[in-house]
Amino acid sequence: MSKFVVRRVAQMILVLFIVSVIIFMGVRAIPGSPFEREKPLQPQVIERLKEKYNLDAPVHIQYLDYMGDILIPRLESGDTAATFAEGDYLINIQLPIGEHGLYFRWMNFGPSYRGLGSRTVNEIFRDFLPTSIQLGLASVSVAVAIGVPLGIIAALRRNTIVDYSAMGVAIFGVSVPAIVLGPILRYVFGVELGWFPVVWSAEGFPYYARFILPATALGFSSSALIARLTRASMLQVLDEDYMDTARAKGLHERRVILVHAMRNSLIPVVTTLGPLLAFLLTGTFVVETIFGIPGLGRYFVTSFTNRDYPVIMGVFMLLALFIVVANMVVDFTYAWLDPRIRYS
Amino acid sequence: MNQVLRKSTLWILTVTLLALVGAVGAQDDGMKTVTTAFLGPGDVPSIDPSIGTDTSSIQIVLNTYIGLTTQNEVTAELEPGIAHSWEVDGTTYTFHLTEGIQWVRYDPEAGEVVAITDADGNARTVTAHDVIFGWSRTLDPETGSDYAYVLADWVVGANEYNSGEADSFDVVGIRAIDDHTLEIDAVAANAFVPSIFGMWMAMPQLQEVVEMYGDEWTEAGNYPSFGPFALKEWLHDESITLTANPFWAGNEWIPQPVIDSVTWLMLPSTAQLDAYEAGDLDVVTSVPLDAMDRIQADPVLSEELNIGYDTCSYYYGFNTAKEPLDNVHLRRALSFAIDRQSIVDNVTKGGQIPAQWFARPGLAAAPTLESHPDTGIWFDAEEAQAELALALEADGISDPSEWEQITLMHNTSEGHAKIAQAIQQMWSETLGINVEIANQEWATYLATVREDAPQIYRLGWCADYLDAHNYNSDVWRSTSSFNNTNWASEEYDNLVDTAVTLSDTEERRELYAQAENILVYHDAAISPIYWYTNVQMTKPNISRTFSVLFQDRYEKWDVGQ
Repeated sequence: MSKFVVRRVAQMILVLFIVSVIIFMGVRAIPGSPFEREKPLQPQVIERLKEKYNLDAPVHIQYLDYMGDILIPRLESGDTAATFAEGDYLINIQLPIGEHGLYFRWMNFGPSYRGLGSRTVNEIFRDFLPTSIQLGLASVSVAVAIGVPLGIIAALRRNTIVDYSAMGVAIFGVSVPAIVLGPILRYVFGVELGWFPVVWSAEGFPYYARFILPATALGFSSSALIARLTRASMLQVLDEDYMDTARAKGLHERRVILVHAMRNSLIPVVTTLGPLLAFLLTGTFVVETIFGIPGLGRYFVTSFTNRDYPVIMGVFMLLALFIVVANMVVDFTYAWLDPRIRYS
Repeated sequence: MNQVLRKSTLWILTVTLLALVGAVGAQDDGMKTVTTAFLGPGDVPSIDPSIGTDTSSIQIVLNTYIGLTTQNEVTAELEPGIAHSWEVDGTTYTFHLTEGIQWVRYDPEAGEVVAITDADGNARTVTAHDVIFGWSRTLDPETGSDYAYVLADWVVGANEYNSGEADSFDVVGIRAIDDHTLEIDAVAANAFVPSIFGMWMAMPQLQEVVEMYGDEWTEAGNYPSFGPFALKEWLHDESITLTANPFWAGNEWIPQPVIDSVTWLMLPSTAQLDAYEAGDLDVVTSVPLDAMDRIQADPVLSEELNIGYDTCSYYYGFNTAKEPLDNVHLRRALSFAIDRQSIVDNVTKGGQIPAQWFARPGLAAAPTLESHPDTGIWFDAEEAQAELALALEADGISDPSEWEQITLMHNTSEGHAKIAQAIQQMWSETLGINVEIANQEWATYLATVREDAPQIYRLGWCADYLDAHNYNSDVWRSTSSFNNTNWASEEYDNLVDTAVTLSDTEERRELYAQAENILVYHDAAISPIYWYTNVQMTKPNISRTFSVLFQDRYEKWDVGQ
């Protein structure tokens, strides 16, 4: 098992390295520059800006510098100038050494070019990732809470009106994207009924209420996928010999379904849940835009339109990290779901 | 199982209770607040006066800072700002600053706006030196200011410093005679130069704060200002709140604010409308076009709708160096064949005005549809076909299909695509010319247009300052970097160069009208499509001014019951 873990972590680092090189080189290869404005800057001004952001160096040097800023920790004495670097580094630990203290700083993902340095990628993570993670978890909960029961019921009542209705709901979920469902939900439950806040920071609602409509809009379409997967896999499991064995042992039907059938039928569901979770946790452009949610998702789009290289790198590396970690967690979950799967 | 049920029942009860408590918690505290919106999604890019470029950034700067001069938001007249008076001698301007204007910041711990003091504890007031510091930051090439060029063009030595030719700010013609007297060497003296000296990138700035906080100086709590409002809170990507500055004494032109605070939420237009209808927003600054029919049919909402002035102009540029657009008759034919009224009525639907020329009427010295009804170009199918015949003859061909394929390019957007398709159809029907439409994402598109513009390309222009010069000279003079058409006309250059030196507005208007006629008709380097409008909604309990500039003045707003 430990050998397996080491191998998976090594693979993970390799994948992240390859992804980082591709994105780093790729964004610099697409036309347009971060300093291309509708009202063009003086060539001299652009040169100074490129110099300031190290964009005049050869691209492999830029890459090494960038990676160095992230990976190599720094020690700084705690005089006044240095305290304003808080936002630059993700990890800032004050060590009780020296008169003003010594700062251990690690992981600098660089400045955002938009607004010319007033924001850093770390500040963007710090401000927006928590919201996106909360919304992502809420959405996945909605997706699972709707999808899994729907799939199980459909499988148990196969080819009956129950099955058809459940799958009808699933097909509706797949065909109506969040960009349609979101505004409808907001208008009906927000504007007309007034049950939920229409905008993110609307007064008079408890904090969690703001997540309900976006999470429903986002979770509903994913629930359809989960429902269909659960149904298919459940049908397969129900035909297995061990189901007859379980029944032959005289187990109650509810236990047969909930423990023996469901646990095994969840394996393909968990497989898709990993990447889904990674995408939902890092935010969703469409839903964040519709509901005006200050999340990370919009940065996946706006960073490209602004050619904001460090932000592009930051958000996509974060997504890549979430995906590889989620996949690894999924692999370990298999072992728990199906005792026949063992890693060595 | 029972326990699970009991637990979830408890949870539901708690949640319901919390919801009730939350609803009761929102009490009206008697403060006069306005909640409006910036077009989201996305943050306000920068509220640094040297760096701000877009409407949202500039809105914040102009409500927290006041320039040497201001422009009345309703009449567009030049008015005093922090300079109570000025005089001009030749091309040297002398500005006299009002004394005792206090620098302030919002103190989040005290929960109020506090005065900024200097190292000795004395009140820190706005001086001529602060203006000079502000200019030196804006013009410094290290700052990377987008708008430095507007200022640099009008101040002696400023372009040399901004382009890096001169190393020292000393070459720039601005001097403090004393703490409250400023002398500026302008490149020329004319009607609008004083308003340029009052623009956002020419604001006074507080050196000690900018230097102390570095890039963080524009965050709430640090942000120094002296105008009618101060920055109270900036929740990035979510909202920005300004609170009234009690230290702003007010004057005849920029009074003390009546309202206590203004909050902008950053929302896309459909969310703005929903929030407005739910009572979370007092103003919709961008009404979604597909809701226009519903709003105009609704007896209540239609009363709250206002279609007002906007300074922007929408146009198609022709690359006159590329075949077959090097043929002036073809360019005229294409421009004559665009039914602009139909586009405005059926495609854009926001009450836009079909444009006969480039510079928006209402700008100082720009021709108006009343003063110059026969200037420029408009939809005329017969003229279009006549010009097409001349164009075919000039190129020695008998059918438009013998020309090289023409490409019309726009930046990716549903709205631009709809307009392009409508025009494509008009050209096909009226002229038998089939153009192909292409689009590129914005940053790529800008690079394409600049390096080698497509045969026909879409762009717009919005005012930096409200004078025809900003349109006719800054954009289309042969030396302009915004002129991507490869078209240059000595006659045009002479007209706009003469116009800028005159002081009589009517004389200037006549010259700009002649210049426009060359630009859009005689040489037909561009085809103007429409002049934008600003479609807003406001709750009836808000009394406000509707700005003809690109910025609102919230100190003149009030909130009733």
